[in-house]
Amino acid sequence: MRYDCNKLDEQARLLFKEERALTRLDGWFILRENILAYEEEHKNTPKELLSAEALCYALERLPLSLSDNAVFAGTQRDAFAQSYALINPNFKLSTFNGYCDPTAVFNDIEPNEEFTAERIDGVRKQTEKSDYVRALKEVYANAETDTKEVAYFIEQVTGHLIPDFRKAIAYGLNALQAEMEEKIKSETDEKKKLNLQAFSISLNGAKILARRYIELAKAQKETATGERIQELNRLISTLEKVPAFGAETLFEAIQSFMLLWSVMCLEQAPNPFAFSVGNADRIFEPYRAKENLSREESAALFKHFLLFFNVGSRSWAISQNILIGGKDNDGNDLTNLTSFALLDAYYAMNFPQPILSVKLHKNTPDCMYEELGRFFFTPGCLTPSLFNDDTVFPILKNNGVDKNDLPDYSVAGCQEPLIMGKDNGNTTNSWLNLAKILELVLNDGKSLITGEKLTDCKPYTTAKELLSTVRERFYAKAEEYIDRMCNAANGASVAVSHLKVPFLSCFMGGIETGVDTRDVQSQGTKYNGSGCLIHGLSVVADAFIAIDKLLEERPEDSERLLSALQKDFEGEEELQKYLLSRPKYGNNIAIVDDEVAKIAKKISIAVRQRKNYLGNPFRPDWSSPTTHLTYGYWVGATPDGRKARTMLGYGVDPLFGTAENGLGFRILSMFKLDFLEFNGGYASHLGLDPKYFKGETLEEKGLEFKNKIMKPLFFSSENDNAPFYLYVNVTTPEILRKVLANPKKYAPSGVYIMRIHGTFVNFLDLSPDVQEDIIKRLDLSSTTCGGY
Amino acid sequence: MQIRYFQKGFNYSQDGTGNRLVIHLQGCNLHCPWCSNPEGMNGNGGESLSTDDLIKEIASCKRLFFDGGGVTFTGGECTLQKDALIEVLKSCKQNGVHTAIETNGTCPYTVDLFENIDLIISDFKHYDEEKLRKRVGQVRDYRKNITDYLKSGKPLLIRIVLINGFNAEREDAICFAEFFKDLPTQNATFEFLPYHEYGKSKWEKLGKEYQMKDAFVTQDTVKLFEEIFKSYHFKTIRS
Repeated sequence: MRYDCNKLDEQARLLFKEERALTRLDGWFILRENILAYEEEHKNTPKELLSAEALCYALERLPLSLSDNAVFAGTQRDAFAQSYALINPNFKLSTFNGYCDPTAVFNDIEPNEEFTAERIDGVRKQTEKSDYVRALKEVYANAETDTKEVAYFIEQVTGHLIPDFRKAIAYGLNALQAEMEEKIKSETDEKKKLNLQAFSISLNGAKILARRYIELAKAQKETATGERIQELNRLISTLEKVPAFGAETLFEAIQSFMLLWSVMCLEQAPNPFAFSVGNADRIFEPYRAKENLSREESAALFKHFLLFFNVGSRSWAISQNILIGGKDNDGNDLTNLTSFALLDAYYAMNFPQPILSVKLHKNTPDCMYEELGRFFFTPGCLTPSLFNDDTVFPILKNNGVDKNDLPDYSVAGCQEPLIMGKDNGNTTNSWLNLAKILELVLNDGKSLITGEKLTDCKPYTTAKELLSTVRERFYAKAEEYIDRMCNAANGASVAVSHLKVPFLSCFMGGIETGVDTRDVQSQGTKYNGSGCLIHGLSVVADAFIAIDKLLEERPEDSERLLSALQKDFEGEEELQKYLLSRPKYGNNIAIVDDEVAKIAKKISIAVRQRKNYLGNPFRPDWSSPTTHLTYGYWVGATPDGRKARTMLGYGVDPLFGTAENGLGFRILSMFKLDFLEFNGGYASHLGLDPKYFKGETLEEKGLEFKNKIMKPLFFSSENDNAPFYLYVNVTTPEILRKVLANPKKYAPSGVYIMRIHGTFVNFLDLSPDVQEDIIKRLDLSSTTCGGY
Repeated sequence: MQIRYFQKGFNYSQDGTGNRLVIHLQGCNLHCPWCSNPEGMNGNGGESLSTDDLIKEIASCKRLFFDGGGVTFTGGECTLQKDALIEVLKSCKQNGVHTAIETNGTCPYTVDLFENIDLIISDFKHYDEEKLRKRVGQVRDYRKNITDYLKSGKPLLIRIVLINGFNAEREDAICFAEFFKDLPTQNATFEFLPYHEYGKSKWEKLGKEYQMKDAFVTQDTVKLFEEIFKSYHFKTIRS
């Protein structure tokens, strides 16, 4: 044994405890303060170089520490604020305002003696003056009428990419810098030359951290005793080698990765959300295999690797994703021993971060499902989200990805497939609310929530005329909004391009192209696009069908329907009941399932037809990371019988409570969707009743999970068009209510992991609104299999 | 042709092999006071759809018929809609869909369906016709019917609901076993289901009195029946 596995395990647990006990995260502020100070002092430095130099300057001054339990050096906690994020324990539906204030994060830092209100305000004011904030504010101001009640929403995308560190880990940063020096000599384009210089400078950032951690380790060694001295010696010699030089062992590879990751996140502090690792098993397996390290020892090291992704006491919305498994282009399974070692580490630690995802395909070996059984069937344990390579490959290929790049698709954050190191997908750039658009179409452009006129609508003479032409009017209005949304989203991308990312660019193809990843004039990455998350699918489809039925069965109530919507069905309970009992998506009823499929296809195409700042298509992504709640809050009553301000359907799922005939019919309805159109991704959730699985061991249940859920859902199609994403919670509302009522009994560690959208959360840390959403969406009649 | 049903849904391995679409047809000739689907008794209730639509729906479900799954018709008493059922079953067989029916075993013409059925699930509520008649209504011929089912050689699952005070004593187990002793049971399997009250709230919802009292049996009773049947060399299962 090269490593003491028990000791490593113990140290990881202690480090997690230390991390959870942190009540302040101030590093990001100090970093920003120093960056701004440097930029202020060096106004004449070309912009390209300024970001890289300022980053290095700030990294020299960032307070660092090394715990007595630290096995590796590096943290990403200085890249995040304490609580700033959408999904956090303080999240309340009513606080969403359709505006992503880039300086709101300064409210997150609690003033104290060191960080006085004046000091915080000084940095905030300086930030407000930046080109980035000014440009972004202008974009938001122009879009305000559309965004204030979320007909759409746009944001500048930070994080949400998958860097390719493989070359840097293998050959070291010195080699990359040497490569760039050569390129600079022959480069004739001045801008590219400056970019390459900036990239090269930025790489010093990781070497600065290595040097400073060596100093810390040496200082700690002076008072250390026993085994700790050897541990520190190991750390020092490793940091003397990586990331400047290539790694040879798994330990060195992990250390190198951590420092690269730290700098990449620090470069984007305080918003490096949803950077993702890609297939960690493929990144690290060559190093493990080279020294023939056992599964157990590898798992022990990976416990520290996973720990690295946990930031302070926040257990939510970091959204950094690690993948394992998958196939190559010939259909061979790429699972390796590192895949299983990572699973062991995940299971043993049950940390709230990072997110685990597993790529599956027809030839995924049974042993993978057996290994996964323990995750799905241990209450309160993290569960991986699942991807179907057999569908994702053709989708990406249809959208221009080269065959050789397909196995390298990864997941940015929650569920958006991007090619590692080559694809700048701007995944969360735009968010479309179809249900709000329908509301406006049916109420002459006036909001049912505030009464404000938000858009002009085509006139009509009678309610019957309006209702009978609702589809045509809806699609025309959707086209208008999509146009404006994409323009605004492109504006946000232009705004964020003022914040250059030289370090990240080195791992996104920048060394080859000499172009910054965020550049809006030249394309720095091999692939580029912008995302559009589309909301309200099931509500709009159910509404269309309810309108059809009303026109068919009681046309005299057309006017009454419109006024009932205005009154949120107050005094119109009979009509609401009638509307609620019309056919609903998710019950294998052809007319409504076909309507859903039609809307999804039409809107996907409409979105894909729009071009982003580089002329590349927007990517339709049918997912709603808790925004089905926030956007629903801004949507009035709808003709499907849904009340105002209540949630929309999650992703491509039926609206809560409307699919009453069990999981089988729900899946059949889902099969009618054209998944090949969803190249930006989509979201779907199943709540599974543990009683449905009869196996005696966790391994047997894992195989049952394959046979009863994954095989029919992912692999029963005769063509490529099959679902390709799923997350599950194997629990019931009853169990969760028990956990809430008596957390000490059911979650003695204080951590009870649930899945919410693409990410893990500690269920106990969530706000009541989000807890309630999770419980509701486990609604037995609509999402649970095991009977009907 | 129209067919009436009151419930549809999937379950796994509860009413036949694998993952199955289970369709409850409307109407029943019996009035068992322990019935868990009393809403299915009235022949005029439920919803109606054409056999063509049902055939299409079943075909659309094929991807979910995994692990030897298929379609199971139950009720109510599904055989009361014999003509429509035959049409649907025939089509299922032509489409390669595994078929099962669950019957109360009291309808003589059930054998007419056998050609298109892969698995028969039949109740056998009591060995004593008179005792049964008193509880559930007219049950003429049910013992002959089960004999015919057995003779057909079709795979047959015989379900006996064990109800305290009705059929759940040791001597009952022996009488049940004695009834089957000389019949051709090589393709038959027996399952003992302990009485439950899942239907109670439905009775109340329908405004009817739920009359069952003290009807529960213990797991020991179930085990006793299984042991006695095994001693007669009958196959027993729990699904």
